[in-house]
Amino acid sequence: MKIPFSLLLFLVTYINVAQRNTTIAPGEKLVFTASYNMSGLMTDLAQVTMETSVVNTSKTTLMRLKCTATTYKKWDDFFKIRDLYESYVNPKSLTSYLYNRDISEGGYYKFMQYKYSPKTGLVKSLKRKKRKDGSLWEEKTSFKIDENTRDLVTTLYHIRNLDIHKAQVGDSQDFSVLFDNKVTVVTLTYLKKETLNTKIGNKECYKLAVALKGTNLLKGKNENLIWLTADKNKIPVLAKFKIPVGNGELKIDSAEGTKY
Amino acid sequence: MKKTILAIGFITAIIAVVLAVTPLYKISIIPTLIAIICGVVALYLSLKEKSKPKSIQYVMVIAVLSLTIFIYKTVVDKNEIGNTEELNKREQDNLNESKEILDDIEIDEEF
Repeated sequence: MKIPFSLLLFLVTYINVAQRNTTIAPGEKLVFTASYNMSGLMTDLAQVTMETSVVNTSKTTLMRLKCTATTYKKWDDFFKIRDLYESYVNPKSLTSYLYNRDISEGGYYKFMQYKYSPKTGLVKSLKRKKRKDGSLWEEKTSFKIDENTRDLVTTLYHIRNLDIHKAQVGDSQDFSVLFDNKVTVVTLTYLKKETLNTKIGNKECYKLAVALKGTNLLKGKNENLIWLTADKNKIPVLAKFKIPVGNGELKIDSAEGTKY
Repeated sequence: MKKTILAIGFITAIIAVVLAVTPLYKISIIPTLIAIICGVVALYLSLKEKSKPKSIQYVMVIAVLSLTIFIYKTVVDKNEIGNTEELNKREQDNLNESKEILDDIEIDEEF
């Protein structure tokens, strides 16, 4: 069967456009407050930041997508969190080449690194953990992923690049997320447009429901939600989540250096 | 009846003070309110029985103390980030190590 040239051209153009980063620019900094529901009262626990910057290597220029989570001072004596998640991506396509997850949570330490080979789909994984005596042990593995599988950080930024304005209410899309050497399917469903009063002003937002396939980590139907501003920046301004041990939310505090 | 209410009032008032001095101070409002309600009910019963309300005063004083700490903390308390020196160091170490790794990775995409 012959494929018409015009259709081929359309497909190639569509794929290129779909994969192009039109939203995220280096120098962007989003700051959030993470809260957890304690006996019916939302209690602020930590600050979460999402930052982008330019990283120059000897061969090329990449974009560093960095997310950090830091508990507030008053909680540090109880449960100190100092988490770092980062991904080094092609600034034009957001294709990831390297992912680091370096977490320290109340004495628990873990480091995960993925070295991607986008051409072959091969991922070289390195896991480093702390023993009880404080010494470190390592585990190296490699596995293949398909081209649509991304790490957590890249997925967060990739979602902001979606053409949500073209979606109809009820439309959903699956995303394959690589986490702890396992691929988890995340489903995003577009629910409706809503206007929210946030610290960065009154914003019209896309309300999206998040669901995980094959895991009970997130509870309820349409109870895990994320609001992205309905403009070109698609800034995540609010996220609500329900997990087996309670519920919480992530609210935006400030947004600097956005592209538009 | 009065003794039971007073016992509940005492216990909740003490829990409220303990919670009020911790970062979980927001939750202290629940036992504080229970203690105040218990105190008021005990006072009503005490006036009815024409007995001395001495122990009720203690419950109310402890409850008011926890309420004062709660209000003070609600007004004064700010979300401050603690020491991030270690995190900053890890960030920098990761960046340096990542740059070395990225130098070795073959990137054949168009930029």
